Amino acid sequence: MSTTGERSTGTVYEQVQASPEFADLRRRLRRFVFPMSVAFLAWYLAYVLLASYAPGFMAIKVLGNINIGLIIGLLQFVSTFAITTIYVRYANKHLDPAAEKIRQQIEGAE
Amino acid sequence: MVRVTTTGLIALFAMGLVALASAVIGSLGVRVVRSTSDFLVASRTVGAAANAGAISGEYLSAASFLGIAGLILRDGVDALWYPVGFTAGYLALVMFVAAPLRRSGAYTVPDFAEARLRSPVLRKVCTVFVVVIGWLYLLPQLQGAGLTVATVTGLPSWIGVVAAAVVVVATVVLGGMRSITFVQAFQYWLKLTALALPAVIALIFFLSDQRTFDRPAPPQFQENTTVDIRTDVVLEVAVPVSFTATGEVDGVQRVDSLVRWDVGTHTVEAPAKLDFPGGSPVPTTVGAPASDESWLTPFPDDRNDGLLATYSLIIALFLGTMGLPHVLVRFYTNPDGRAARRSAVVVLALLGGFYGVVTLLGALSRLYTPQLLVSGDTDAAVLLLPTAVLGSGWAGALLGGLVAAGAWAAFLSTSSGLVVSVAGVLSTDILGSSRVRDFRMSAVVAGAVPLGLSLAVTRLDFSEAVALVFAVAASTFCPLLVLGVWWRGLTAVGSIAGVLVGGLASAGAVAVSLSGFGGTGWVGVLLYRPALATVPAAFLTMVVVSRLTAKQRPADVDQVLLRLHAPERLGLTRDRLEERVKRASG
Repeated sequence: MSTTGERSTGTVYEQVQASPEFADLRRRLRRFVFPMSVAFLAWYLAYVLLASYAPGFMAIKVLGNINIGLIIGLLQFVSTFAITTIYVRYANKHLDPAAEKIRQQIEGAE
Repeated sequence: MVRVTTTGLIALFAMGLVALASAVIGSLGVRVVRSTSDFLVASRTVGAAANAGAISGEYLSAASFLGIAGLILRDGVDALWYPVGFTAGYLALVMFVAAPLRRSGAYTVPDFAEARLRSPVLRKVCTVFVVVIGWLYLLPQLQGAGLTVATVTGLPSWIGVVAAAVVVVATVVLGGMRSITFVQAFQYWLKLTALALPAVIALIFFLSDQRTFDRPAPPQFQENTTVDIRTDVVLEVAVPVSFTATGEVDGVQRVDSLVRWDVGTHTVEAPAKLDFPGGSPVPTTVGAPASDESWLTPFPDDRNDGLLATYSLIIALFLGTMGLPHVLVRFYTNPDGRAARRSAVVVLALLGGFYGVVTLLGALSRLYTPQLLVSGDTDAAVLLLPTAVLGSGWAGALLGGLVAAGAWAAFLSTSSGLVVSVAGVLSTDILGSSRVRDFRMSAVVAGAVPLGLSLAVTRLDFSEAVALVFAVAASTFCPLLVLGVWWRGLTAVGSIAGVLVGGLASAGAVAVSLSGFGGTGWVGVLLYRPALATVPAAFLTMVVVSRLTAKQRPADVDQVLLRLHAPERLGLTRDRLEERVKRASG
């Protein structure tokens, strides 16, 4: 039983693989994930640079003991969280509908 | 015979309770969860929030529970990189590999390697690294249990190490608490409570206090304080200090005699006892910021080395998380990609909240447990804070018990996840068997080896030890997973070469550095924090060798990649998994 199942989904795979919609979907995902990670890593590395070469700026006191360096440091958590939220929004808004479209096309073709 | 105090007894009782609870629940969950289909079954009953709790519960280990507060206490703002990196690594895992791996139906790296590249040799290589990474990661967990028992009860630390190993192996052999997601979720909330409560109490004390952190001077002992030196230390004195010492100080044997230290470095050999009068400045271990002001400033000493070390650390943590054997698996308990993403957001919030509390605790412990800066046992900060703030009466003892229980939960949840992963790989790939008896035997081996190791080797700071493991994971599995998921040109030979180059270089560098041949300067920094060099080396090797062997690309690469990238809404993945379940049960 299972072999025939494999074979029939195999053709669906090929169909999807060939469709421009799927290529578009992959492109959308790649276009989001990679630049986002680069931006994200750059923001981390920029903080480290700032900390080493602009210690005066980082040491400016904002409130009592709390200096700019500490605030930006803690903001790293917030930014990580923000990026995840953006990613999830993007996926829900752009990736899922695109996948839905492909699915409808496949089902329509069958 | 060691006399255990009331505080110690309460803490022992609390830890015993946590251990017993996990063992009992483990024995109730008879089903040994170690295959994809089992997770598929679990996915139908677990909601995104509970699952997020479970992921966080398993992820937060000894390094997170004890280690980070300890590093904050000693290194200040520089140590923030550890929690930030642990959180960011989780994000990298979600964005790059989590969803495609779920769809592949492979839930361990060796499974993925085989499904993607059809190479038994690559599978074996991956197996070896899963086991090595798992064992190295277990080491600080077990030693954390030892430190906890020694700190709160005064019993020798090997008792804690052995007890933790026995409990973990027993729960896994009995059925594995891993099968029950809500236990992991419960452990997350236990860990958070165990830290948040003392943090809030200490914060209230701090706010009603006149003290501040922001002084150009070293921290101060609040009252007369006895410091037990259990390992040899080299201390830096920024402000002259007098104290009473018993033991070998600066090479001279002393018995209850008054010592005055001038500005400079001084040595104390273990065992020794130093009595500091209240109000005297605290000497700190060499290499740590000596004054409160430099503690609050990034890279107070050498900014070039600091920059290099921090970059390398960020790379290791950011890319290493996805290579940890016990983290990947959890994604299977989400019913679909959408739910997986939703729980990823919740996980990030839970991790952020936890690390925020840990950071606060670490900072407050600089005021309340400065003696740890002298003895070097900064990892004990969280454990000692309750009694330091509330005194050793009932309130302090109960709070201390809660913290000890939380720490114990941290070791047990992470360790059992690791033991299950290592045992699963050992039994399927080394023994070549899927029988439950062989899995159980493998679990014993998976726990016994790190037990032996953790009794034999000297303890590193937990977060430091964990960072070394992250570097190895980032240099081996990260390139394999990222290229395997995103690049159709990858070949088996290329993967094997890349994993070996990254793995041997990173592990070798760390070994050289730990054995004391590292030296200083940028070479020493890179040997201790190799990720900055070894991760690109592994990626490069994989790409170059794959290009050279391009003819050996698997024939079904397009189909496999489609499977990895076609979203669940296409309905392809689910059908395939269901089919596997049917085949497995039929």
